[in-house]
Amino acid sequence: MTNNTLEAKYFDGKSSSSQQITLVFNDKLNKPRLQSADGISFVWYLDDLQFEQYGNLLEIRNKNYSGALLKIEDKDFSTRFFAIMKQNKQLDVHTRLMHLGLTKITAIAVGMLGLIVLAYFFVLPSIAEKSVALLPESFDNEIGNVFMDTFLDENEIDSTKTKYLEQFAAELNLNNKKPLRFAVVQSEEVNAFALPNGQIVVFSAILKDMKSSEELAALLGHEASHINYRHSTKMLCRNLAGYMVVSLLLSDVNGVMAVVADNAQQLHSLSYSRGFEQEADEQGLKILMDNKMNPNGMIQLFEQLEKEHDAYIPKIISSHPLTAERKKNMKTIISSAKYDVQQNNKLNTIFEHIKE
Amino acid sequence: MTQDTKQTQNYFLQFHGKGSEFFSIMIVNWLLTLVTLGLYYPWARAKKLRYIYGQTELNNERFHFAGTGKEMFKGFIKIILLYFIIIAIYAIIFTMLKSPVLALLAIYLCIFAIIPFAIHGSLRYKMSRTSYRGVRFGYRGNQKELAINFYKWVLLTIVTLGIYSFWLEMNIRRYTHQNIRYGNVAFSNEAEGGEYFWIIFKGYLLTLITFGIYSFWWQSDIFAYYIDNMEMTKDDQKIKCYSTATGGGFFELIIINLLITVFTLGFGAAWAEMRTQKFIWDNIKMEGDINIEDINQTEEEYKNALGEDAMDFFEIDLA
Repeated sequence: MTNNTLEAKYFDGKSSSSQQITLVFNDKLNKPRLQSADGISFVWYLDDLQFEQYGNLLEIRNKNYSGALLKIEDKDFSTRFFAIMKQNKQLDVHTRLMHLGLTKITAIAVGMLGLIVLAYFFVLPSIAEKSVALLPESFDNEIGNVFMDTFLDENEIDSTKTKYLEQFAAELNLNNKKPLRFAVVQSEEVNAFALPNGQIVVFSAILKDMKSSEELAALLGHEASHINYRHSTKMLCRNLAGYMVVSLLLSDVNGVMAVVADNAQQLHSLSYSRGFEQEADEQGLKILMDNKMNPNGMIQLFEQLEKEHDAYIPKIISSHPLTAERKKNMKTIISSAKYDVQQNNKLNTIFEHIKE
Repeated sequence: MTQDTKQTQNYFLQFHGKGSEFFSIMIVNWLLTLVTLGLYYPWARAKKLRYIYGQTELNNERFHFAGTGKEMFKGFIKIILLYFIIIAIYAIIFTMLKSPVLALLAIYLCIFAIIPFAIHGSLRYKMSRTSYRGVRFGYRGNQKELAINFYKWVLLTIVTLGIYSFWLEMNIRRYTHQNIRYGNVAFSNEAEGGEYFWIIFKGYLLTLITFGIYSFWWQSDIFAYYIDNMEMTKDDQKIKCYSTATGGGFFELIIINLLITVFTLGFGAAWAEMRTQKFIWDNIKMEGDINIEDINQTEEEYKNALGEDAMDFFEIDLA
């Protein structure tokens, strides 16, 4: 093997002065020898070396001689040194990735981001939902109770109507696995909601506009289905998992991205809730039919809601799917379903009491 | 080596960092941090610092940051421990005294007590890992002295309803700077609370009157005050620093950086940061007679990375 020589600049780590030095090395850079002008010569072992590359400039440091620094400005040597260090497995992951160049790195990053986005939208929701099965029902009860306590601090229960609503629900089979509780609160707002602890809250305004017992049964069926399918807990798990991914992604990116991602998360969870609304609609409809009630009660309920929400709310920002769309879905199911309707006078009587 | 004392030397600082290179580093950092679920963070930080130091040049020789991810990772672990200790203190006081206010107060006291040690540790770490022409920097401050002074200055700040904070800031700056060494070159700083207070006061008033326009000149005044008070001595030789930054320069830097960052949805931050570094180094001038090729290695190596991460953890910025 032939020996090559190169002139290099050397700092000895004892002072800031530099000296010219001759580097003697073979093709494999095996034991490169440093020879100073005054005749001192020593060997640097590859295993001890660390380096920085700045264009053609190579700065080599030896971990055994703190401060010692060898500077070589030679393109061929720099390339060869890098290759040998790579062969010698002395490059860290970061350096190896950096050596791919900006285009490839960006491609990898974009690919990675794509994978994460895909996982975020398609894998994460089902994993998060499945993890709900691991959570005990007591968790649902706990968060439901906490919410209800604060809700009751600000709202008043109509005890008479609540009693009738309880009687009404007792006449129905709501497919529930856990005991349901009912409450009518006095409010101008046309609304109703279900809590994971089995609590269904109906606002007085929505009852006022109802025309038939089927409508009320449809509402209860819808809300009970939210509870039966643990929608609140699923939403919570999805959102939590989503936020975890987002914060992981943003470990080193700045605030602008945080805001963008936050909004995306928001929209995403809304589209989740559309899926759940649809499920609750369909299961609610099934409850109506199972109870031998007219499924068109669900359509009437939507029509009433439509009157309330005649102001146009764009699909993407509305947490409930557009009522017209939901109504259409219900109509399609009803038209192809076989059902049997029996008048239930007891329900009608209780409904009249609720309307009083 | 020629020992020409009292011969005026030429110094020029340059920053070579490129947005595209820095961006590559940040992207790789991001990727590795992601894949390791965040554990790569200290290594990422080391890579970032090493790039910035390595692109900074004085008279054609680059600075070097020798800190490693492994060192900083150890610091990172200690910070997490510290965090749990503080939480434990909170929990204990809360359960014993049943007072969230007292418990919170205890936490603030803890953090406040840690600050001088964080400043000390982080400076010691950073300086010992910084070198130039093979000669290390070092920090020789005494942490007990700094801590006692710090507590005294904070008390004065509380007593004066915050006015003393300007003195506090400059006192810390003076104390820490005068304990920085580059080999056998000693740093010093003449910054002083009274002068600093007037710069802030004047800048604040003029910024109000000019509806914010003066803020760039205010920035420039503060920068100049920091730089102009820096000095280095070796025996009877000196280097004095001064700023050439202008309000117009700051205006251009800040506005263009803002535009770059906003119009790239934040991805241009790497370019903005390189522009900032270049602006800083382009605007620091040095004058004097210390021969930078004739400085001896004097500072010990240092091994504890606690301070380095404590800086990040408590988010204290010492420019």
